[in-house]
Amino acid sequence: MLRIKKMKKITSYIFSALALFALSLSVNAQTKQAAFKVPAYEKFTLPNGLTVYLMEQHEVPVISVSAILPAGAIYDGSKSGLASLTASGLQYGTKSYSKTKIEEELDFIGASLNTYASKESAGLSSKFAAKDVDKVMPILKEVLVDPIFDKEEFEKERKRVLTNLDQAKQSPRNVISSYWDKFIYGDHVYGNSLTGSQATVGKFSIDDLKAFYAANYSPKGSAIAVAGDFNAKDMKARLEKLFGGWKSNASGQQNLAAQNVPAPTSARILLVNKDDARETTFLIGGLGIRRDNPDFVAIEVVNTVFGGRFTSWLNDELRVNSGLTYGANSRFTPLKNAGTFAISTFTANKTTEATIDKALQVLDSLHKKGFDDKTLASAKNYVKGQFPPRYETAGQLAGLLTQMFWYGFDESFINNFEKNVDGLTATKSREIINKYFPKDKLQFVVIGKSEEIKKIAEKYGPVVTKEIKADGF
Amino acid sequence: MGCCIPMFAQTKADDVKTFTLKNGMKFLVVEDSSIPNANMYLFYKVGSRNEYPGITGLSHFFEHMMFNGAKKYGPKMFDQTMEFNGGANNAYTTQNVTVYTNWFPVSAMETIFDLEADRISSLAIDPKMVESERGVVLSERSTSLENSPWSMLGDAVNATAFQEHPYHWTVIGYENDIKNWTKEDLERYFKTYYSPNNCVVVVSGNVRVDQVKQLAEKYLANIPNGPAPKPVHLVEPPQTGERRVTVQKEVPTPYMMIGYHTPEAKHKDYYALSILNSILSNGNSSRLYSSLVDKKQLATSVFTDFSESFDPNLFQFYLESAENVKEADLENAVYEEIEKIKKDGITAQELQKIKNQKLMEFYAQLETINGKSNNIGTYEVFFGDYRKMFDAPAEYSKVTADDVKRVANEYFKKSNRTVGVLKTNVED
Repeated sequence: MLRIKKMKKITSYIFSALALFALSLSVNAQTKQAAFKVPAYEKFTLPNGLTVYLMEQHEVPVISVSAILPAGAIYDGSKSGLASLTASGLQYGTKSYSKTKIEEELDFIGASLNTYASKESAGLSSKFAAKDVDKVMPILKEVLVDPIFDKEEFEKERKRVLTNLDQAKQSPRNVISSYWDKFIYGDHVYGNSLTGSQATVGKFSIDDLKAFYAANYSPKGSAIAVAGDFNAKDMKARLEKLFGGWKSNASGQQNLAAQNVPAPTSARILLVNKDDARETTFLIGGLGIRRDNPDFVAIEVVNTVFGGRFTSWLNDELRVNSGLTYGANSRFTPLKNAGTFAISTFTANKTTEATIDKALQVLDSLHKKGFDDKTLASAKNYVKGQFPPRYETAGQLAGLLTQMFWYGFDESFINNFEKNVDGLTATKSREIINKYFPKDKLQFVVIGKSEEIKKIAEKYGPVVTKEIKADGF
Repeated sequence: MGCCIPMFAQTKADDVKTFTLKNGMKFLVVEDSSIPNANMYLFYKVGSRNEYPGITGLSHFFEHMMFNGAKKYGPKMFDQTMEFNGGANNAYTTQNVTVYTNWFPVSAMETIFDLEADRISSLAIDPKMVESERGVVLSERSTSLENSPWSMLGDAVNATAFQEHPYHWTVIGYENDIKNWTKEDLERYFKTYYSPNNCVVVVSGNVRVDQVKQLAEKYLANIPNGPAPKPVHLVEPPQTGERRVTVQKEVPTPYMMIGYHTPEAKHKDYYALSILNSILSNGNSSRLYSSLVDKKQLATSVFTDFSESFDPNLFQFYLESAENVKEADLENAVYEEIEKIKKDGITAQELQKIKNQKLMEFYAQLETINGKSNNIGTYEVFFGDYRKMFDAPAEYSKVTADDVKRVANEYFKKSNRTVGVLKTNVED
């Protein structure tokens, strides 16, 4: 688990959930090879509304399954953390398999199974040897369609979750995005924390999980993608047989996320006090973009220059030139109906002010100076060159297919990626900066030792303080 | 996977092509056209085990300095040039090795060779870059301590279990060593450990072996060979009694580590110990998860780790205590599971389970070009031959239930263990 390893740079800081479709894309402009394309796949919908994707991939004798369901934390209501516990609860036992039986069967053949919730959706992912398809698929079917939500297993899991919630707060890196979402989105459902808190999780009963499942898990609005070493015709028949009879009583969910997210009207700072902090961890930014923004690709190219790679302006200034931090970056986090943008870094308590000031200067110079053609060319080459490895394995491709389903894009996103990157002009990149990168009314979430940094925080606007040990975010 | 390229069968040992330059730099190449990309992994046989007090952390610091300028490509130009050409990189340092990783569209391969050749042949150590990089590394050290209790506890357990061997200190190094090493220390390190014959290079991706060989000859073959570095002569004496260490940090529940001295990667017991590691903690049906986390609810999580290493290292247990659990109860529950294996061994069913899991892990290693390079390089460096990677499924299938029982008895002895606990209250 813990390899003793020290690296040049952090590889995934906070935002792994996004990595799937973020940042980078297709073949280098200088190559003469065929452009990177999504491999052939088949898509169809069962009569009960479940969308199915099949993609044959034969390099290794393995099959990957990915499912996505409209059952994320946005449906938690006042029961924060319920979507997440319900998703893990799918594995507490089913009509024909106890929890122990599921684990023993899958462990024995080296198969993996994860069920989880994210902000907007719930998901399942599984990987197993192609020869074990007869054994695994019926288990996956029951986990999705016939969970029984065993009470005893739930109580055990709840205890673990309650301890984990406290443990997570030991690490600013683990919790800062929960504070951020709440601070930016406020009462909008995108502000809902995925994990919940002691106060909410402590009160759930197994009936809450059952009710959440009944209201939100249904074939309509969900998709399952299978990629790997199988015959598509056989797999189609198999899935029709397994999932064709899935009926749900879930009556139309409300589109809770459709509500408008108000833009910030002034600068605000949330300071989260952690008494034993040796460093300050912070995010600065504001609202970002929706996933279906037509400028999605262009924005990623511009963000690459600003904070999306090692030589980005943020990392160059805060790390390479000044040694203030081990790493600084920026990112857009797009969801279906809204998104945020944030600069992200950390520094020793005593260099907090210098680091925040420098981050703001870099943002300011993006607006004032923009960048030259050489920098634009470099960013284009970079995002194109780093794109193909994101879609290399059957698991990555199955995930891509469910993302397409969820966010309503298709393979043209990938197949035209190179063209879209190349089409970005200097003029357009200037427009992108003006339109999407916040300039003022900045929002700050700062986790650190209040005693040492509160005065500094007040420099940037009115400060609201919370204790990291206080319940929730 | 494959896009636009016909599917092909999985990689075999014979698909790895090798050649060695006249200066001793060894290359392993895997042709894989599934994506229009390639990578280059350079494994240098130097890590914190090659250090001594006064320069602890220098291997890792040096890894950072390799990005800070050479003769042709000055400060910042390595990264700027690589990213302009669509490439990205990272690097990591462990107790044993320093590994540099480049990922790029295959069109950029010649540039990558040029960049690597420049820094291997003529690194420039700019005093200004040394100073700003000290700040970066101190921040790296601090952020790891800030964000993970395991970091503090692991440092204490290693320092206690190893009293003479260099695994005693951390890879990141002591804070005051980081602040005090000199340009001369760095130059000496470069001369000693960055000779081409101390490096194994792996290239995988949409390349041809002849093309890689031609570029290697052109850019790297003329870099002179240095004398072989002096071997690490310190050997940890056998531990003759249990050792315990306590660390204070405010945490909701205690963290516990238990480490047993076990042999290096080339030892005959490696495969049996690796299977034992999986039996103990791989998956919810594993011995420790099922007993400590599920049935007894003494821990919220449990992991074990047994990894490849040049010198004998630790087989480690990591436990996060559940609330209101006595430390002794948690610790004894681990020993109870260990004793069951020492006394009764493991079942045929369990052994088969782990062999099945090992085969799936093997497939996963071959699924990406990065997995190929990383694993082929690791086997070459730690096991002495990349072919051992392809032999691994067969080696695992040879291990018997009795072998697993035997190694549990041999290494999991009270006198051979170090126990570390991190908790809020250390005074009572």
